[in-house]
Formats: sequence, structure tokens, C-alpha cells
Amino acid sequence: MSTILYEKKDGIGYITLNRPEELNAMNDEMLAELDALLPQVEMDLDVRVAVFRGAGKDFCAGQDLTGVKTYEVLSEPGEHLTIKKRMEAERRRNHRWEYIFNMAKPTIAQVHGHCLGTGCYLAMVCDITIAAEDAQFGDPLLRMGLLPHMPLWLYLIGLKRTREMLFTGCYIDGIEAEKIGLINKAVPRDDLEAEVENMAKGIALMNCDALAPTKDAINSVMEARGLGACWRFTNDMQLVMQQRTMLPEEYDFFAEREKHGLKAAIERRDAPFKKFCEER
Amino acid sequence: MPTGFGWDFKTQYKDYFYEHNDYREWDFQCALYDKVKERIARITLNRPDKRNAFNDRMFEDLAAAMHKANDDPDVRVVVIRGAGKHFGAGHDLSSPQGEESPPVHPNVNPTMQDYYGFERRRCYKYDDVTDYPKITIAQVHGKCIGASQIFAASCDIIITAEDAQFGIRGFGSQLHGLTEYPLWPLWSNKAYAGRAITEMSGKEAADLGFANKAVPLQKLEAETLRWAEVLSNLPSEGVAVTKEWISGMQDIMGMGGTLRAHYHGHLGLQYVRFRPEEVNLYKEKRDKGLKGFLKDRAEAASPHAKDEEKEEKKKEGK
Repeated sequence: MSTILYEKKDGIGYITLNRPEELNAMNDEMLAELDALLPQVEMDLDVRVAVFRGAGKDFCAGQDLTGVKTYEVLSEPGEHLTIKKRMEAERRRNHRWEYIFNMAKPTIAQVHGHCLGTGCYLAMVCDITIAAEDAQFGDPLLRMGLLPHMPLWLYLIGLKRTREMLFTGCYIDGIEAEKIGLINKAVPRDDLEAEVENMAKGIALMNCDALAPTKDAINSVMEARGLGACWRFTNDMQLVMQQRTMLPEEYDFFAEREKHGLKAAIERRDAPFKKFCEER
Repeated sequence: MPTGFGWDFKTQYKDYFYEHNDYREWDFQCALYDKVKERIARITLNRPDKRNAFNDRMFEDLAAAMHKANDDPDVRVVVIRGAGKHFGAGHDLSSPQGEESPPVHPNVNPTMQDYYGFERRRCYKYDDVTDYPKITIAQVHGKCIGASQIFAASCDIIITAEDAQFGIRGFGSQLHGLTEYPLWPLWSNKAYAGRAITEMSGKEAADLGFANKAVPLQKLEAETLRWAEVLSNLPSEGVAVTKEWISGMQDIMGMGGTLRAHYHGHLGLQYVRFRPEEVNLYKEKRDKGLKGFLKDRAEAASPHAKDEEKEEKKKEGK
């Protein structure tokens, strides 16, 4: 493995996203490695708690937007594939979140730096999220005409705030994320590791055979509130979103990336929102 | 409707309430329509002498304005605000019998078939606001009570004055639970979920996640337009799909069912009997007029206010 590091220590399994140069952005390789690793972690009786974290300065900046070997993370507009192929891809994408959400083992996200887009989704599907106070949470997908595809937004922070987060694409820090219920706790950056370790060790003291059905019971409440159907509905809406048309005067992220490269495209994407988000 | 891509499209699958009337040549009276900028339309609820309380005409004008904004491909964001001192005081309880916006008078005694048709027309108005394919922002100041609060909550974003007053009073002091719109817990996890708040300030609404931002009154308009402008940068098709996704998930979470339960609740209210000591809208309206009812209801809603008033008067006397 290269894009994911895995380490076991004191009954805790540390899963580290490891593309620090690319802000740990998710590409096909990283997801394939995650898919291979997670079932092993889930079945390993020596691991009582799984901790997700990021190498370098960030947790995860989201999906790799280069468009190179990112088929599993990003539905690019204009893909000429059959509906069946696309549907399968969408299902795989969302099923991964659903799987982590339902893993029969407690999970903690240890978040610092950027935690955006699918990176934020990863933090959201973990049982517990602890973040540095200056971590940055956000979901700017709609700015590119992509569907922000995480149903848990609605469940975790309510309707008005969901719309605000998704429509503005602005980032919030750890302190605000704790206030609105997106995460469990924000701590000073220097205390983050110790705080997570302490929490993980505390949870590890629980009878793990009793913890698994407890987690399942909690998740079944979410299922009864419609989460299962929401995942499926989200798949379908992602298919619909791939058919959207851009009006001539609207900003086309993908055309811009083609012409001027990724960095310029992201800058132009965020420029109209920058001042507003700073002053928000 | 024009699509902006050079062809027209007639919606086949559903008529929104705002599509019932043709807005061309429309005489806007109780709600006004204007365009602030190319991409921003604005609707002003315009019955300031009635604190912008809803009557049927206001709903018709509002519908025509929403239809017009939806048909204008340049418009990306619609701002809704109130003229005068308030956003809106809810249903106009002084409306003449036969109007559909205020609660049905018990003497009307409609058939069940008529009643359900009426409830659907009435409740699904707000559903249609939620399902509106463009971004809607409620700019709230002064009172935002009852139906006006439901309307604001159905918009995507609420920007409010810090001292605005949200709240529901209902037909009588004992009926908060039933007259409460059933969807508050879906709107905000904190406001209303597990808390029977009947009134809150704009500042509290923002803290609870019921509104998005509270600002001092003099900054309200500028702040609302700042949001409208930045949101008008989003791809319009992307917004329509994302809103459909959010509304669809709400349906999965029980929106449709709660709406139905809500109008069963309304139906139940037709048969509510009042104990002698309770404030009864219909009886009070008959005996004391609307103002008398409002006064008694306010007193019944805050029983200690009277005592405090007495205390204060005593102190002043001393």
C-alpha cells in the first residue's frame, strides 16, 4: 500500500490517508486500497477502535479533481457510458460511505487542516469526529455543478444549515462545526492526537461484542428515519446531475480545467465566493 | 416556461400553485414584484397596514410573482420581504368568510371532500415554496408569525433582523401544539425538536439553526442582497437538481406523511371544544371583535405578564 498507511498500536488501528503532497485527495488507487483494507480491520479482533487520519497538513481535501484515474470518486459530465454502468459506479461510490457508517467496529475521525468534499463525508460517516479548532470543513461541490452527495448533512445539522453549507460552499472551522453538531469535539491543534488516543482507549475498554450490536441499534434508528432510502435516492440524483446543462454565461469548471489547468480552475471557481465566505 | 436554452418547456407532471395564474399584465397589489439585479428578483409582501397578513389576494399576487421569477431565465435567486414594519403576521384573521387563507370558520361546516381539497390547496402552497427550483431567501424583520413563519421556513435561507420576532400563537392559548407546523424538527434539529418554543427572537432563531443569520435591522437589506448576489453565481441547473435532492430526502424522512397528519390536525381543530376559562377565537371574535380576541389571547399566553404589570405599577406608584 502506498496511498494508505495502516498501523496497529494498543488495540487501535490507525488508518492514515497518505497523499500529503495532494492534500490527501482521494483517487482511484486510494479508494481501492481502502476497500481492501477496511474488511480486514473490521474482522481483526485485536483492533477495538479504528481511527481515520491524514498525513501531513490536512485530513483530506476531498476528491482528486485532476480527472486522471478518478473514475471511482468523481462523475465527470459528458462521460459516454450506459446508464447501467453509471448506476453501478454511483452505487459503489455511495456504498463505500454506507459500509464505513455500518462497520461493526467503532470509528473515530481525527481531523486537522482541510476536511472538504468527500474528505468531509469520510469524517461524517465515522461514529465520532474530533477535530482541531482550526480545521476547515466544507462541501464546495455545487460550485462545479456536481451534486454534494452526502445525506447525513440533513440529519446532522438540519435543513437551513445544510442548504447554507451546500449553496455557499463556504468552509467552517472546528469550533463552529462542534457548535452546529457536525462533529463531537474541537480541541487545540496540539492536543488533537492525545484527545483522540484518549477517546479511543476509553472506547476500547468497552466489551466489543456488546458494542457492535449497540452501534447497529443506533444505526437502525437512522435507517428507520429513511437513511437507507436516502443513499439510494442520492445515487439516482447523481445520475440526473450528470445530464445537467450549463447556461452559456455560467462558470464551467471542467472546460476551464481543460484550458487553463486545475489550479486556475479551482481559483476561478472560488473567486466569486471568496469575499463573502471570509465575511460570513 | 422558457428554459433559457432557446426552447420552451411545459411542465407536465405537476402544477405548482404559483403556476395557476398567468402573470402577464398582472396587477400586483398585495405582493409586489421587482428585479434588484439581472439575476435577483424580489417579492415584497405589501399589506403594511395589516402587518402583511395573508389573505387570498396576497397569495394570488405572491403566486404570480413566483411564477414570473421562475419563468425569467436570468433570475437565479428570489428574495421575499415585507413592506412596512413587519415581515408578516400570519393569516389575516379578519378576512371575510369564504376566504381560504385564514382558518375555516366552524359555521362553514364543509363536507370532508371539500375540506381535504381545501387543506391540500392550503398546505401544499408551502410545499411548493420548498420545491421551488430557484434559490429563495426570506428577509425577515419585525413580526414573522404563524403562516408567515411557515412561509419563511419554507424558503431556502432566512436572513433576519436580530430583534425580529418569530412565533406561533394559534387559535387559542391552549392550542400551540396543534397549530404548530409539523415540520419544524426537519427544518432545524435544535429549534422545536423536543422544545415547545412558541416565540423566539431573530438572534435566537439564528443560534438554533432555524435562521441562517441574524444582523442588526439597519444592515438587513444589504446582508440579504449580499447573500443573494453570491448565490446567484451557482449553476442554475445544478441548484435545481440539488434542491430536488434535498426535498426528496425530506420526503423520505417523512415530509409527505407529516403534511397529511397536519391537515388531519386542522380537521380535528374544527371539532375542538373550549373550556369556559379558555380563549376561544370564534366566540371572542363574535363577542369582542378581533382586537378583543388578540388582547385576551396575548394575556392568556403569558399569564404572568399581568402580575408583573401590576407589580410595576405598584412600584411606580410608590
